[in-house]
Amino acid sequence: MREPVIQVRGMTKDYSNGPQVIPILKGIDLDVYPGDMVAIMGPSGMGKSTFLFILGLLLPPSGGSYMVKGQEVAKLTRSQQAQFRRTFAGFVFQSCNLFEHTKVFENLEFPLIYAGVPRKDRAAMIDEALAKVNMMHRRNHPANRLSGGEQQRVSIARALVNRPSIIFADEPTGQLDLKHSRMVMEHFQRFVSEDKTAMVVVTHDPGVAEQCTRTLYLRDGNLYEQ
Amino acid sequence: MLQLNDLIRISLRQVVRQHKRYLGVLLAIALGTGLMIVIMTMGDEVKSNLNKDLDLLGGATIIKVFFEDGGADRMDRPESFRDGSVETVNALPGVNATTLVHMAGGYATFDKHDTDFIMFGVDEHYWKVNGLHQKAGELFGKEAMDKRLRVVVLGEELAMRIFGRLDVVGEWISVNRVLYLVVGLLDAGSVSERGKWGYTPLTTMMDFWPNVEPRRMYVRCNTWDDVGPVSEQVITAIRARQKADHLRVEVAWEALKHIKRIVWWVELFIYFSISATLLLGGFGIWNGMMTAVKSRTREIGLKKAMGAEDIDIMKQFIAEAVALSFFAGVLGVGLGYGGVELATWLLKSQAPQDLLYLYSLMSIIFTVLLGLGAGFFPALRASRMEVVSAIRYE
Repeated sequence: MREPVIQVRGMTKDYSNGPQVIPILKGIDLDVYPGDMVAIMGPSGMGKSTFLFILGLLLPPSGGSYMVKGQEVAKLTRSQQAQFRRTFAGFVFQSCNLFEHTKVFENLEFPLIYAGVPRKDRAAMIDEALAKVNMMHRRNHPANRLSGGEQQRVSIARALVNRPSIIFADEPTGQLDLKHSRMVMEHFQRFVSEDKTAMVVVTHDPGVAEQCTRTLYLRDGNLYEQ
Repeated sequence: MLQLNDLIRISLRQVVRQHKRYLGVLLAIALGTGLMIVIMTMGDEVKSNLNKDLDLLGGATIIKVFFEDGGADRMDRPESFRDGSVETVNALPGVNATTLVHMAGGYATFDKHDTDFIMFGVDEHYWKVNGLHQKAGELFGKEAMDKRLRVVVLGEELAMRIFGRLDVVGEWISVNRVLYLVVGLLDAGSVSERGKWGYTPLTTMMDFWPNVEPRRMYVRCNTWDDVGPVSEQVITAIRARQKADHLRVEVAWEALKHIKRIVWWVELFIYFSISATLLLGGFGIWNGMMTAVKSRTREIGLKKAMGAEDIDIMKQFIAEAVALSFFAGVLGVGLGYGGVELATWLLKSQAPQDLLYLYSLMSIIFTVLLGLGAGFFPALRASRMEVVSAIRYE
């Protein structure tokens, strides 16, 4: 029997606005298995990104259970959360979040530095990740001189470089044209199927959702299967 | 967890790549550090050179050591300085130079006209001890002392009284009926009395004047800080060499106090200026790092998303501040070396190398501590940022 990488039960998230408590997530259940590409869609302001950030341990949930590979992670300390992120997770965000004043390979080196990968092993891992997104020819290029599509491919390579179990992507194609958008999603499909990685992607784009294995809708604080 | 070698590499890279942002801060700290090194290394040398201009200081660093007239038995031969006493005093720590002096009345005859005046018998160190220079001709030296030459240096007023003019170098005059060659005209400086006197080698005076014994000694100290200790030691030192029951010491305490007060204010002003420069540099680092933290908010969020812990972010920003201040310190040491070289050239002296190395090392340590202090709060702020707000920061 397949074990889920992510298992969420009754997850809630509330925001306080003065005395008023606004529920964003109202008891969500979700299982994500290795090789799954789960798209989360829904209207703006419904908490899709909030849910993704909770899954990535960038935000704490208000209640419920959240298990990664069978381990409860909802109530970890800040340090343990950081350890979870560098061990299991890779992130891709909407706007190209490459570091200024750095070269492409330096961008990819940071997750490895924080994960404590010895320096001698880093070059091979960086080259492998860059090769997966066809960006080896830009290895020593300043990051801010790349085109939008190239920058997003480097972000993907950075999310993959430490071989995470789960990739979290927040509108990864939001600023790309159709051609580059398809290319990026094809890269994701290949990694997920080859490496048996799980992926959760938040998107507004039905075209992106079509390329995923499952699509979920978040509305009024609940998740609905398509 | 961020390893030390990665931390150093990342921080240095960041500072080098953003050097334009930090250039002003870097130069301010370097300048302050350089000046501090120069002043601390060359301070005593500068004091000593300032001391040489005794007209400015009113002779406050000169100690007068003399034998008082009289004593228990007036039939005894009057006490005077014996051979070896001068060397003993010269060997005392803080003594720059020593001179023996004897004063006697005399009369000069020129063109059948007699002029009464006071003649000083002095050795070749007299000019240095009193910071005196010639207006014309020369001030006699060791050769005149050794060969007991009949030469005389005249004050300007005295020259006018005797000759009625100032172009007197090379003239012969009769002093107490002995012919002397006028070799120089003294620049009296701010002590106008000196213009009324004449000066001849002490050894010559001993030959031609009756009962000439060196009973007065002027001791010039290196700095005003040495005056107190030297004045306390000098009598004991001389008494260890000779009989000196009626020896007295005279110090211009009031003038000394006045000079010390002036110098204290000057030093305070200089150190205050340097401290202000360094503090401004520290504030510059603090401000620069605060700006960097704000402008790199997304970077901080991203790094945390990648797994950086709060302490990693804190270490990185502190390391950048320290790297910046370290560079400034190294540049400051370079400037300090240059400044010390310039100062030694201007003062025609030798820089104390051990002090230079010590203060250079201390400066580097100080600037590193400055970077630590200035970078701490911005780094703390960066480390406490919430990941999501940082990532979403526009």
